[in-house]
Amino acid sequence: MPEGQPLTAKTLAVTITTAIIVLLTVMMVCAFVGPRNISLKAVFGLSSEDGVNPDYEIFVKIRLPRVILACLVGAALAASGAVFQALLRNPLADPYILGISSGAGLGAIIAVISGLSWTFWGRSPVAVFAFTTALATVWLVWLIGRATARTHVTGLLLAGVVVNAFFSALIMFLTSIAKSDQIHSTIFWLMGNMTEESYMILWFGAGCVIAGVFALYYISPQLNALSFGTEDARSMGVSIFRTQTIAFAVAAAITAVAVSLSGLIGFVGLIVPHAVRLVFGPDHRRLLPLSAIVGAIFLVAADTLARTVVAPAQLPVGVVTALVGGPFFLILLVKYKRKVGWLSK
Amino acid sequence: MSIIQVNAVNFRYPHTEVLHNLSFEVERGLFLAVAGPNGAGKSTLLNLLSASIKPKSGKIRIDGKSIGSYSTRTLAQKVAVVRQEFVPAFGFSVIETVMMARTPYFGQMGFHTAEDEKIVNEALEATDTAQFRRRPLASLSGGERQRVFIARALAQNTDILLLDEPTSFLDLKHQVDVYDLLKTAQRQKYKTIVVVTHDLNLAAQYADKILLLSVAPDYHIGGVEDVFSPDRIEEVFKVKGFAGRIGTEKFFLPLGKFAKSSPIMQKQLPEQSGATDNSAT
Repeated sequence: MPEGQPLTAKTLAVTITTAIIVLLTVMMVCAFVGPRNISLKAVFGLSSEDGVNPDYEIFVKIRLPRVILACLVGAALAASGAVFQALLRNPLADPYILGISSGAGLGAIIAVISGLSWTFWGRSPVAVFAFTTALATVWLVWLIGRATARTHVTGLLLAGVVVNAFFSALIMFLTSIAKSDQIHSTIFWLMGNMTEESYMILWFGAGCVIAGVFALYYISPQLNALSFGTEDARSMGVSIFRTQTIAFAVAAAITAVAVSLSGLIGFVGLIVPHAVRLVFGPDHRRLLPLSAIVGAIFLVAADTLARTVVAPAQLPVGVVTALVGGPFFLILLVKYKRKVGWLSK
Repeated sequence: MSIIQVNAVNFRYPHTEVLHNLSFEVERGLFLAVAGPNGAGKSTLLNLLSASIKPKSGKIRIDGKSIGSYSTRTLAQKVAVVRQEFVPAFGFSVIETVMMARTPYFGQMGFHTAEDEKIVNEALEATDTAQFRRRPLASLSGGERQRVFIARALAQNTDILLLDEPTSFLDLKHQVDVYDLLKTAQRQKYKTIVVVTHDLNLAAQYADKILLLSVAPDYHIGGVEDVFSPDRIEEVFKVKGFAGRIGTEKFFLPLGKFAKSSPIMQKQLPEQSGATDNSAT
């Protein structure tokens, strides 16, 4: 890759194709890793005498859905993290910065405490409440931010921080009055938790995430110009309000989908975009799709570790993303420190 | 025909009026310097001319059409802006930054063409920034970075260049370099240039016309000879000083009360007649 050169369609196509091949390979390998050893031959081999092939059942009904889920959630979080960093021009931004995490957390704990037991489209009340309150919270933050200034992002950022703090206080209050078994399941959810999902849910999630990443790619040249500030971007022909609205709405929506599927998985949305930027540069036309793919690879690998290191028990995947991702990111940061503008001065 | 027409424009912030009944025209290919004390509305005028803000009343026409009738994208093909220095949060290289100027010309897929590449290379050559094309913008000195932003404005391939205090952080050599660069663009590419500046001496040297904004509603516009009179400068900037001439170049040296030659306080510049006084009152 020619460093510092303007991106061409050919370079982008080669990079993305290579990354997709790596992702598919990692997914395939990880689907075979687990407490029970299964092999390619056993999975696609003959059934046993009673017509059941247990390896096939494990592979298709347990391992594969989980790998696909990790792939979707990782892609959604990393892509939306990259967008929030661009939109807020803040390297500390992550998908949860504008209140999605606390909103989702509040919804989840309300669902747990109220003891509801229905399902909607196969989703538990926790997932449904988390999804709804996440979107409602981010909408609230958007309205407050817009009330302070139409296109300036500081108001939006502060509104997000304050709403996050306020809802976190509500979460702590509700946790303090909840029963101990309820607290355990809530905390597990808040740490990020993967479970096997039905294919219907997975395809629906995949549709949302893929459409979202394409929509974000569509506005990526505008996000490049926005890195220089709204006034500069406007003078380069970028429609600020339109770009910000699309970026914000799409990033929030795919984050809410990810949160409702797997709880709050930290770190992916913060470090993956930075890692991709460090290695491949800041151009959003490459950064957004590549963050989505690398986020998917990272979470598939992290979830594989989460379900194998203490097998048959499982770790919350959020613990693994922070424990493994943190040091890995710091190594990248030191190695590539000269390359990034924001560290050179 | 004038490429910029400002007609009876008013603009006020919540507690202050900055532009009152301002009218002037800039002919195509002209170099206009906009000077005046802090708060006189120089940057506000630049923001009005780039449609970042709208006037409370009055009309602005760019190339014969009302500025409001342009889309953001089509206006960006007419007017390029170099604002006061700003460092992006993420490490774009010099050539990536300059290529971004081609955003208003990009097709649906958002990639540059060979034509874009040629224009960008020309802009890099013209501003003497081709040597560090691959370096991150943040690793450059203030003067180098300012040249890159001017290269970006040139690559936007517009008729009009607006610059907000392009030399405010630069040493003397780089100040002169930037003005030389702008004058070359004006002469070779027939660009219309509007520079907001605090440097009256460079403005007098390079500009064809000066717009001197004072506390609203007063303003003066005219040739350097018309506007650059010591009395007017003293009146507008509320500072005493020494005015002189070397050859055909005029200069004004402000003298504070502790200046060693303060007692001189001479106004040696001969008074000029015929200044256009467009005071609206």
